[in-house]
Amino acid sequence: MQHGFIRVRLAAAVLSLAPIAVAAQTPAVPRTPDGRPNLQGIWQVLNSAAWDVQDHSARLGAPAGQGVVNGNEIPYQPWALAKKQENFANRATADPDAMGYLPGVPRIMYMPFPFQIFQTPDHVTIAFEYAHGIRTIYTNGTPHPRGPINWWLGDSRGRWDGNTLVVDVVHFTDQTWLDRAGNFHSEALHLVERYTLDGPDHLRYDVTIEDPKVFTRPWTMSVLLYRRKEPNVRLLEYDPAFLMDEEQAARERGKPN
Amino acid sequence: MNTRCVVAILGLAAMAVAAAGAAAQTPERPETIAGCPAENLAFHTCALQKATTFTPPRTPSGRPNLQGYWRSQLTQAFSVEGVPADDPLIKDPIMPWEAAAPEVIDPADRKIPYQPWAAAIGRRGVNFYKYIDPRTTCSTAGIPRLALQDASQIVQPPTDDFVLWHHDDHHMYRVIAMGNRPPVGAGVKTWNGLSRGRWDGNTLVVETTNFNGYTWIDDSGNFYTDTARIVERLTMVDADTIDYEVTFEDPTVYTRPWRVAWALVRVTEPGFELIEEACREGERALGRIREQGYKYYFGETWRAR
Repeated sequence: MQHGFIRVRLAAAVLSLAPIAVAAQTPAVPRTPDGRPNLQGIWQVLNSAAWDVQDHSARLGAPAGQGVVNGNEIPYQPWALAKKQENFANRATADPDAMGYLPGVPRIMYMPFPFQIFQTPDHVTIAFEYAHGIRTIYTNGTPHPRGPINWWLGDSRGRWDGNTLVVDVVHFTDQTWLDRAGNFHSEALHLVERYTLDGPDHLRYDVTIEDPKVFTRPWTMSVLLYRRKEPNVRLLEYDPAFLMDEEQAARERGKPN
Repeated sequence: MNTRCVVAILGLAAMAVAAAGAAAQTPERPETIAGCPAENLAFHTCALQKATTFTPPRTPSGRPNLQGYWRSQLTQAFSVEGVPADDPLIKDPIMPWEAAAPEVIDPADRKIPYQPWAAAIGRRGVNFYKYIDPRTTCSTAGIPRLALQDASQIVQPPTDDFVLWHHDDHHMYRVIAMGNRPPVGAGVKTWNGLSRGRWDGNTLVVETTNFNGYTWIDDSGNFYTDTARIVERLTMVDADTIDYEVTFEDPTVYTRPWRVAWALVRVTEPGFELIEEACREGERALGRIREQGYKYYFGETWRAR
């Protein structure tokens, strides 16, 4: 009886220590057979960066949000700041996303829709539910093709820096924005993305934005992605261009002939 | 007059370029593929026989390794039923078709077994003459038209839980969920369908449902509806050839299941990569096509029935 009581007290002591022990060490991250962090899965943001990457109050149809720009300031050149303000005023129609186009990088990473990562030793492919976007990040040591090339999602070449996938992205168009608030870039955009697992279910996305035609210096954003864990979760389809056409077709059918 | 003609008229200035491009894109049909005859039914029969004695390369986890870049062979996009030599469209002054063999291998008459009402819509019927080919609007070509033309890439992550089929055509992709996943509820309808895969010996079997029925099978307006179930079978015949077979089931439209087959041949050019094809983002002809009176499709012909 006495013996049993002691055993119970010991067990209780171990239990009370357990949370401390877990908090003290970094949770293990899943790994692929070749030992790299396994970034695969379905991921999605839980923020409002797609509406505005900076601190902002609620607007009709757009939740309030704390910005994802580190330091909150975007170092626009004077002409570019004026252009951003004009974009903001006209955003309902001027945003290229409102025409159903691919939203560009990095914006497609923080659209409020899931995406799925597929990883092999040679490349990491990201398939987006939004607009059927797809990015292939080559990790086989190949260089960017010679430019200039105007691609909506750029050209991505990556390498592993320890546990972080570092991706260099160039060859953009000047036709995409960074958010619905009119933040923008030119075709000279150059991104350095860093993908780091923060435990098994969180993926940290840090991106450096460089564009000497628009900004006075490089600046950074940090976004947290969450693993979608519903057992039945799958990428479905949201293609804004197709949906716009479908609405238009329905309107035309409704017309009296 | 049809959508293809309008596209051609709009593109008169670019016609020389387009013709050169088309000539370059129409692959020379080799006499044999993987040692099998270059005719769809004969190829398919021979290829499946050869596959019984071929040991495919394996992934680290032991699955047949279908990874790499592939290009379709034994295909044409005019009509899966083929184009006879006396077809009037072959003499079309603006955008002539070419005589072509059918991709249909079953039934034996190489024709889609349509119910009568549906034959009047597909097979260069109402769809072709009154509606815009959905692919022309920069929407997806759909299944299996995505694999009918252009290059594609098959990706098998070592975790074996998904296969990704990435198509050059309009930056489209398909996620094939492996294992015994339950189907997604029928209330979710999609352009490319939702696919589940499994291995049947060395064959990747992909079953796709949850279609919205908004895509066509070919340029002739051949079609299925949102009740379709499509089963694809990918079988390696040799290290550089896949036999690709597709079974269409749709009790709304057909009298029985039917099949097409063609070959996927490995792209061996060094340094080959898929290139972003942003279609909608540069699209200029759709407004002019609509001015000619062609209507958006969105399955209107079969939904109105």
